[in-house]
This record gives sequence, C-alpha cells and structure tokens, in this order.
Amino acid sequence: MFAVETLSLSKRYGKTDALRELNFTVDEGEIMVILGPNGSGKTTLLMILCTILKPTSGTAKVMGIDVVEEGTKVREVMGIAFQEARGFWRHKPSSILRFHASMFDIDSMKRQDLIEQTMKDLELWESRDKKFMHLSGGQAKRLETAKVLVQRPKLAIFDEPTSQVDLRGKRKIWDKIRELRDQGSTVIVATNEVREAEYLADRVTILHQGHLVVRDSIPKLKDAIAGGDVVEVGFEGPVTDNLVAELKGLGGALALSPEGNELRAKVSRAEDWVPKMTSASYNLGAKISSIKITEPSLDDVFIHFTGKALIDQQ
Amino acid sequence: MNRVLNLAAFNIRVLLGDPTWFILSWALFALQLAIYGSLISRLVGSNLPNYFFFYSIGLMIIVVFESAEDVGRHFVEHAHEGELPYFLSLPVSRSGFLVAQAIYGVVNTLVKVAPPLLAVLFIWGNLTVSGALFALAALFLLGLGITGTMVSLSFIAFKAVDIYMAVLAGLSALLIRFSTVFYPLAIMPNYYSPVSVLSPLTYGADLTRWVLGFDPKYLLNPVLAAVVVTAIAVSTLSLSARIVDKIIEGVKAA
Repeated sequence: MFAVETLSLSKRYGKTDALRELNFTVDEGEIMVILGPNGSGKTTLLMILCTILKPTSGTAKVMGIDVVEEGTKVREVMGIAFQEARGFWRHKPSSILRFHASMFDIDSMKRQDLIEQTMKDLELWESRDKKFMHLSGGQAKRLETAKVLVQRPKLAIFDEPTSQVDLRGKRKIWDKIRELRDQGSTVIVATNEVREAEYLADRVTILHQGHLVVRDSIPKLKDAIAGGDVVEVGFEGPVTDNLVAELKGLGGALALSPEGNELRAKVSRAEDWVPKMTSASYNLGAKISSIKITEPSLDDVFIHFTGKALIDQQ
Repeated sequence: MNRVLNLAAFNIRVLLGDPTWFILSWALFALQLAIYGSLISRLVGSNLPNYFFFYSIGLMIIVVFESAEDVGRHFVEHAHEGELPYFLSLPVSRSGFLVAQAIYGVVNTLVKVAPPLLAVLFIWGNLTVSGALFALAALFLLGLGITGTMVSLSFIAFKAVDIYMAVLAGLSALLIRFSTVFYPLAIMPNYYSPVSVLSPLTYGADLTRWVLGFDPKYLLNPVLAAVVVTAIAVSTLSLSARIVDKIIEGVKAA
C-alpha cells in the first residue's frame, strides 16, 4: 500500500487548472520532496491531501483512506505544517502546542516533556511566553514545524518548512524532519529550494503547471540528464590529440574540450567514466594532477525536464 | 466529542480572556435601557401596559442577535487570519467543527445576556429560578437559529467580505425593524404586521416574553413561537453543517 496515492487528480479554480490529471504516489517511510516553482500546484496538492480543499475530479488516498469520503479519518493520521504560519495572535507558543497535542490525543503525561523538548530543539523555548503576534516570521515558521513534530503523524506534510528561517534554523528543521522519517513517519516536503530538496529527499517529484513532470531519486534524476556530470581533469603536460582520441574511444563521454593542460568532459556517469579515463591516461603516460567532478544541480534537472530554470519561475 | 469540546474550549479561553467586550456590552445595555428605554416607555404610555419591561426583553433579543452575528464574523475572521485551514486540518468532522463554533456562540451569548436578564428580572421583581432558566432557554434557542443563519451566510465572505458585511447589515436592519422586538404585533398597522411575522426575532421575542409572564394578549401563541424558534434552529444549523461540509474550503492556492 502506498502512503499517498492520487489518480487523475485535478483541481480547478475558475478557469485556472491548478492540478491536471495528477497520478502521484508516495511510499511508506520515505521523504518525498515536491519541487516546483510558485504556482506549480504543490500547495494545492497538499491541501487536497489534508482534506482542506476538495478535488475537482479524480481521487486521492492517504494510508489507503479516501480524502473526500473519509476526511476525518485522514486527518487523524496526518499532520501539516502550513506554508504561512498565521493566526492565534493572542496565544502563546506553548499553549498552541498543548492544544495541538491534545487534539491528537498525545498522552497527557508525556505531552509537556515532548513540547518542551521540541521547543528546545527548534530554539523556541526562550519565546515560550511571547504571544504569537510577537514572534518573528522565522519563529512562527518553526512553531508551525513544531506542531507536526510534537504530533508525530503517520503522514507528515511540510509546505516550504524553512522559508523565512535563517541558515542555522534550516539545518535544525531538516534534521528534525529526517528524524521524523527515521521514527517511521512518511514525509512530504513541498519546496522551491533546491538545497532543501537535495538535503532531504529520498525521492523528488517535479511539478510544473499542475503536471507531474518526473519522479525519482535525486541520483537517478541527475543520471537521467545526458551529459549530466562535468569532469575537469588537470594534466602535468598538455593534452595531446592522441589522448583525446583514446578517451573518446572509451565511451560514456558526450563532449571533450581540451585546453592547454586541462580537459573538460561532459559525461553521463562520472563514477563510470573517471576510472576508465585514469587508466587510459596512465597507459598513455599522461600524468594527472587534479580531477574535479561537478554534478548537475536539481535546477539543471528541472531545466532538463521542463525547459525552464526553477529560479526563473519564482 | 472530546475533541469538539476541546476545540470549543480553545476559542472560549480567548473569548473569556478579555472581559472588556462583555463589560462594554452590559454597560451599553444599561445605558440604552436607562435613557432610551425609560423615555420611550413614557411616550408609549397607556397604549401598552408595562412597555418598559417589553422593551427590556426586546433589547435582550438584540444582544442575542448581535452575539450570534459575532459567531458568523468570528468564523469569517478564522478564514481571513489563516486559522480556518488549521482548524479544518484537525481530526474533527466538519459538523463537529460547526458544533464547536455553536458552543462558542452559546457561551458568548449567555455571558452577554444572562447578567442583564437577571438584573431586569430582579428590578421588576420577577426573578425566579424557573423563569430565568426558561427565558435563557428561549434566548439560547433563538441564538442557535441566528448562529446557524450567520454561519450559513459566511460562505459569502469567502467570495467577498464587503458583500458579506453589507448583507449582514441589511439583514440585521430588516430582521430587527420588521419584528416584535420593540412593538407587539397587536398594535402594528395591518400593512406592517404580515412582514413582521416572517422575522425569526418575532417568535424569539414573544416566546421569551411569554415565559417571563408578559400579558399573552399582546403576544403570539407560545406553542407556535416555540415550534418556529426550534424549527429555525434545527434547519439553519443543518443548512450550515451542509455548507461547511460541502462548500467551504480552507484556502485557495494555485
């Protein structure tokens, strides 16, 4: 059984199609990152999964439970940290978390310790007596994440969990999300931050204009890009035509650009090509002084599959 | 059910955390009664005996109406301040969510209306436990009916808040003016009374007055009033449950 499964899921706002015939699955116990620019349908998908929005057509199931037919049951097994942490102006973070924990039947004996530990982990403990309206944007976002961490749901959803959060805070949130996965939760993270996706994802789904473009693990997505890896090799002497010809004969290299003592190669899989290249160079007596391998970023993957840069789409 | 009560308690804690609104509401009631109520009852004179008492109950109906209006507004505020998506993501059924809102509304109404009611009954020497309880029950039923109407209307605010506010203002003006809140059906002109029979406030006001022992010849049949008030409460709450379940969505995001 999939933790999440959608079949031909569509959502339309007036004349705008936010999701189009989406077929999407998430395995139990994995972190699925949904990557896409603003307006790609990420939040709409998450809102349907947590039963806040209703699909225009198609079906969606969470842990095998239909989100339209049995919304309350779905809400019992999932928790969501919203993109925008708003509301509860007059409540304190600790009382918001206590209320949230009580709504999900967290053992009252353990509740206070769990809340205190989570607030300390996310550096919210010092702000426990501030009212929500006095929290900074980053603190409000961390509080949003804290709700899900306290809850420890079977399906945890984070919508852009680290927007407005400083670099140190981002790393803390990411580590806590991974910890949640390690404790058995299935996690979905929607983001448009490539670094966040690279840090967290077991698999990535790329959404673009309401369509699912591609879904796989990051290494496989990168490998799927022809000429995805770039290898820059430094030699102690000039790169000879003989060496270039020999390297072309190895296969796996899509483009070789010699320049003085350096050779730049675009290869499909650096881990396959580099050993063959070093061996061939050694046989020809060409001494290697340095090797630098550059992987394509997820932005490159996004460009490859959509024809547009992720960053340009924001 | 525990979660529904928990949800209601969360909102009620905020409500009771700031008593300013209640104190203002009671002070306004006292002022209105002391100044306008005493003046108008002298003008009415012998046309309607004990008009001051009649008027004070009418004023309570208005407090109930405004308090129920508050619930609708509170619901809309939830949406606009971003709380609604959170509440809709909690493991409570949509009807349970509505019940939590209604409980909030009932507490809001009772806190606002109970002290003035007890004060008025005490001043008029009518204060009995059974009278106060029955009057509160009648006001409570009326409050539920209006709450249901307001929550049903709140979906308009999801399209346009301005239209919602205009509808509320228009509706409250019509429902209060065309009703027996301030004048009994018996002395209304013929062209005016048929319209007033359509207002739910007419039934709530007359039922409360009957419970408190006002002269029945100026009031509607109490059985009819009780049936109508109950029917309105049940039907509007059912309608709002359906609207919350089928129409209202937490956020719109593309």
